[in-house]
Amino acid sequence: MGNAVEFVNVSAGYHGTILLNNLTATVSEGQIVSIIGPNGAGKTTILRTITGLIHPAAGSVLLFGANVATMPSSTRARLVGVIPQNFDNPTAFTVEEIVMTGRTAMLNRWRQPSLKDRIAVERAMVYTDIVDMRRRPLVELSGGERQRTVIAMVLAQSPKLILMDEATSNLDMNHKLEIMQIVERLNRENGTTIIMVSHDLNIASEFSQQLLLIDKGRLVISGTPTEVLKENLLRRVYHCNVYVHQNSNGSISVSPEPRLTTHHSGKGQRIHVISGGGTGEELIRRLALCEYNVTCGVLNEGDSDAEVAAALNIDTALENPFSPIGKTALTKAEQMLQSAETIVICGVPFGTGNLANLKLAAQALNQGKRVLAMAGIEDRDYTPSKEAQRIVAELKTKGILFWNTMTDLLDMLNTQIQNQAT
Amino acid sequence: MTRKFVLFLALIIATPLVLLGCVMFGASGIGLPDISTETGRAIMQLRANRVVVGFIVGAALSGAGVVFQAILRNSLAEPYILGVSSGAALGAAVAILTGFATVSVFALPITTFATASITLTTVFLLARKRGTPSVYNLILSGVIVSAVCSSVLMFLVSRAPTSGLHNITWWMLGNLQPTSGQLLAVSSVIIIIGTTAIWLMSPELNALALGRETAHNLGIRTDVMTVTGLALATMIASTAVGISGLIGFVGLIVPHVMRTVFGPTHKRLIPASALGGGLFLALCDAIARTVTSPEDIPVGVITAVFGGPFFLAILRKKGESNWSG
Repeated sequence: MGNAVEFVNVSAGYHGTILLNNLTATVSEGQIVSIIGPNGAGKTTILRTITGLIHPAAGSVLLFGANVATMPSSTRARLVGVIPQNFDNPTAFTVEEIVMTGRTAMLNRWRQPSLKDRIAVERAMVYTDIVDMRRRPLVELSGGERQRTVIAMVLAQSPKLILMDEATSNLDMNHKLEIMQIVERLNRENGTTIIMVSHDLNIASEFSQQLLLIDKGRLVISGTPTEVLKENLLRRVYHCNVYVHQNSNGSISVSPEPRLTTHHSGKGQRIHVISGGGTGEELIRRLALCEYNVTCGVLNEGDSDAEVAAALNIDTALENPFSPIGKTALTKAEQMLQSAETIVICGVPFGTGNLANLKLAAQALNQGKRVLAMAGIEDRDYTPSKEAQRIVAELKTKGILFWNTMTDLLDMLNTQIQNQAT
Repeated sequence: MTRKFVLFLALIIATPLVLLGCVMFGASGIGLPDISTETGRAIMQLRANRVVVGFIVGAALSGAGVVFQAILRNSLAEPYILGVSSGAALGAAVAILTGFATVSVFALPITTFATASITLTTVFLLARKRGTPSVYNLILSGVIVSAVCSSVLMFLVSRAPTSGLHNITWWMLGNLQPTSGQLLAVSSVIIIIGTTAIWLMSPELNALALGRETAHNLGIRTDVMTVTGLALATMIASTAVGISGLIGFVGLIVPHVMRTVFGPTHKRLIPASALGGGLFLALCDAIARTVTSPEDIPVGVITAVFGGPFFLAILRKKGESNWSG
């Protein structure tokens, strides 16, 4: 068996924004492959490069061995069909008419549809069980029926490869499975290759032989569901905690960890948050929800973090807008740090204007307080003399702790409390 | 035989009968004129001419409406509303007043096509912020561009010699009095070829009506087909304007009615709309000829009387999201 699709160093995007970065991957003929990844990772872009809707800025996409960019559109339409997420069409086209448009590339404009066209349409409708509704307008159908009609349209196209762009996302459990069964049957009986983009990792793992995990336009890993669905990988890509279970029937299920909502884990704990420019908004909110006693600063007035803090009634050391940290604000912040048990440094960049905050944290660490900083301060150092880097290097010797995601951080905070309790 | 097929057959059979019926109406009274007399023959000739012009122009405007609606996926797209007609009218006025129209029989159709294309492009660019323009933006910029074209046209009329004045005013209101047999013949050929061409594009129009991305996935070269379709529709609409002046709403009313009867499939919708549009305009003209007889009123007045309320009804009923009949 050859390759259905081959990406060779493909970079692509719209209007100069690169959404796909140097992708190299192959999909073998006859497989069901899922492309997974967070929103905006570039999954749909990958599908669009396969259909030639976007031409790669660099590299090439080969469809059954031939370059998509130079392929005539009617030839391409016989090789690849697309089932979109939504097929909202307000026209009064009937089911049968929609299915017949699947034959567009094959129709002879001078003649009525041939017997071959009609047979293809009939078979497609039988396959997806929509024969009874052939004369009904698409608009009257339910979501599942509509999706079956679209699949029939794509089947009438008789492509060797079918792309599904979140084709089951709007359907309920039952209809999701119904659609997936049709697709799986197609794959088994006709050897049709399927590439689907899905946010449902369970469906992806259940039906696919291969998964492509994409993040920020790059391929993270390609492999079998067991190889790709790993807790640490998913956690890194999706920025949230997930549990992966191998079920007794061999399938894998992935579930996200329930988010911390209001519980009293933080009661009585004092935390000082050093942030700025929106880097602390979410954290400040979460800490407040968990009933930590939070203080913030130094922040400039009008900073979005300062606004969130004000909205949540959190005591904040404030400096004038766009001004470097001055003495008054610094003294106030110093007092806050004195009474806090833990200091958290968010992903804020450091420059000469706010370096004083980092120095405060260093001072606190010296006093034996716990300092938890988001990793990568070195990359966020915009001071001319790279002073932030120097401070961090020193802090590392004194036991500063680093975190990557907010989930990590909340875990670290929780363990600390438990340790104190025991 | 399906119901739609029977209705379609009925439409084909009705066409010559209704056109014949239209000949019976005229400023000189209802009924066939006495063709044994010289005057009778002249009246007969005149009426037959107008019926033919009405049919051709109505078919063109209505066929163009179908194409605009499918490609722009917009239920209210129509040559008049999109400003295509005003642009063509302005071009025609310039060609007539400067005498360019007399250079060749093709001069008028070529000028109207050129100015109509420029107008449509302008409307489109004005309406578009990013990507596909919305229904309302398109209508709004169509109205604005139309108004600009009309005021330039008014200016030209105000500067025109008195002898031409009446003609141009009349023509701005829509008038089916043919100017020359030659022009009518050339225009008819252009319209027939154009309409046949859009009919042959039916599979592509069906696919484009489902959205550009879907059409692309079905193997349509969407950019080529969009430009071709819009150019053909503009060509037949502007040619029609060249012989009859500004007649509004035909391209809106007729495709809507035909779509509810025959469905949105273009293989059937285009011929049905062309026939229906021809009949509709011929009938409107019969009314225009007789309602204030012996005085004639411009046929554009009659179509606007039907079209205005119809337009509002669709606008209210469908809103932005919906575009079909």
